[in-house]
Amino acid sequence: MSEPVVQATSLLTYLMAATQLLLAAGGAYMYFRWQKLRRLHDQLLQEKEVIFGFVHDVGEVFAEADMIEPDLLLKRVLFYALRTTRASAGAIYLLDRNTDELFARALSGIFPPLDHALTPSTATPVSKSRHVEQLVRSVSFARGEGMVGQVADLNTPLLIANGDVDPRVPKHEIDFLRIQSMLLVPMRFHQDVLGVLTVANRIDGQPFAQTDLNLLQALADQASAAIHYAGLRETIDEKKRIDHDLALARQIQSSLLPKELPRWRGVEIGAFNQPAQQIGGDYFDFVEIDEDHLGIAIADVSGKSIGGALLMSICRSVLRAQSAGNVHPAEVLKSLNRVMSRDISDDMFVTMLYMVYDRGAGRLKVARAGHEKPVLVDSSGQIRLVESRGTAIGMTDADTFDELLEEVEVPLGPGELLVCYTDGITEAMDGQGEEWGTERFFDACRDGSGPGARALVETIRHRLDRFVGDQPPYDDMTLLAIRRETP
Amino acid sequence: MRECQIKLEQVGDVDVVHLDGALDAYSFPRLEKSFGELKEQGRMRILLECSHLDYINSASLGALIGYARKAREAGGDLKLAGLSPKIMSIVELLGFDKILQIYPDSQLAISKFTHA
Repeated sequence: MSEPVVQATSLLTYLMAATQLLLAAGGAYMYFRWQKLRRLHDQLLQEKEVIFGFVHDVGEVFAEADMIEPDLLLKRVLFYALRTTRASAGAIYLLDRNTDELFARALSGIFPPLDHALTPSTATPVSKSRHVEQLVRSVSFARGEGMVGQVADLNTPLLIANGDVDPRVPKHEIDFLRIQSMLLVPMRFHQDVLGVLTVANRIDGQPFAQTDLNLLQALADQASAAIHYAGLRETIDEKKRIDHDLALARQIQSSLLPKELPRWRGVEIGAFNQPAQQIGGDYFDFVEIDEDHLGIAIADVSGKSIGGALLMSICRSVLRAQSAGNVHPAEVLKSLNRVMSRDISDDMFVTMLYMVYDRGAGRLKVARAGHEKPVLVDSSGQIRLVESRGTAIGMTDADTFDELLEEVEVPLGPGELLVCYTDGITEAMDGQGEEWGTERFFDACRDGSGPGARALVETIRHRLDRFVGDQPPYDDMTLLAIRRETP
Repeated sequence: MRECQIKLEQVGDVDVVHLDGALDAYSFPRLEKSFGELKEQGRMRILLECSHLDYINSASLGALIGYARKAREAGGDLKLAGLSPKIMSIVELLGFDKILQIYPDSQLAISKFTHA
């Protein structure tokens, strides 16, 4: 009988053991599940904290966003972007509307170069981080070029989970520049892409997750409006400054032009000068050398804004000093060139026509330093260009200038006219971008010469106005006409 | 305006620089870079082939004169060929046709270089 008891006992033992095992397994399962839930809970709590932090940060970004400098605003955005994503470095690339290229405008941490060709040198005189920053700032991306260009072009965010195997990510040999993981999001305002916000490498060494990308995009979306308006304000400030410069330049320029035309017995003079808003530096002047000699100058100073205006004022004083007592225009221009070459920068020059009218002889001495050739109109309305060699002031060395400059003498018969002008007249454009041109200008000289110098200036001006329509003048326009009166 | 394309070609001891587009304040520094590289190699016989040059601003023209002078001092020259009538008239107006050597086509221009 003992056998079945043993059997029954062992069966019970087995059953109990099995139950214990099951319980243990269930307990372990419950335990692990509980742990998992707890982890998830922690993670959610952490994410909640991040999101709360983020909402707070966004508030910070926009606090007084309309007051702070654009660069400071970008720095703030970057700071919060790094904090939100726990990234160790970041950059904001902005799109330059003129070149359609993206350039790094703000950097934080040691942000690795995103160009495959760029390898920072290890031997560098400046500190490593400075060197890397200079490298990153020196490279811009065209739309569609590289990761930054693609994000801007496609207007979609990009998550690089493993930089070591992703072919789009440049591989840097230097360890602290290694890109393990990256996030790139477009910054957009309405339909326009303003730039790209990007962060690299989480501090904890973990790869970035989709949540990080979403948060970064949300931050970028919020920041974009502020960046857009800051950019606008920057443009407006710059425009204000330029307008101020231009107004100042205009003021200097107009103060240098003659207030009234000289009244000379036997000579009738007509003049027209219209300054443009944008570029220009036309200058004209009359110098009464003595009883019988009148100096007439017309010039076009290259170089915008204050530089051009200052050059013009130098030009005027030097011309006035050199022309005193000298009736030879070539000599005056040569000394003018010698004096001015010293003050003139490489990219600036002056074209000038300087003439001396001899009332007694009824002749003009003409010297032309690269300026438009004067037009001689006889009493029957036939025209002829006064030819003479000469190059612009400030363009060549003084010896070459002297060698090239020629002085010619032109008799001015009774009733004959001499017309001189700047290229703003002949290059004036209509609404379709067509130039008025020398042929139309010459035609106007032929047709309008009958009644006299002032009437000719009026005719040319009238025809020019009709051609140009309501287009604002792009360049300064100056026109002078001198007529020897009939006795 | 089209941005200037710069292509270099060697014909004997003359370096022909083909310009295609508009030469202005933006594109001129690239031409200067090419000049600098040629100079480093001691190559100072340069011909600017301009038949596809649409525009040149006056400041660039002025700078070309400076380069021509430097090239001559080094025993070479900077010559121009194939200028359009519009560009030629500006060059004449500024008096630069007397300073620079300008030819209707590059073949003629190349034959005018003195050889070492």
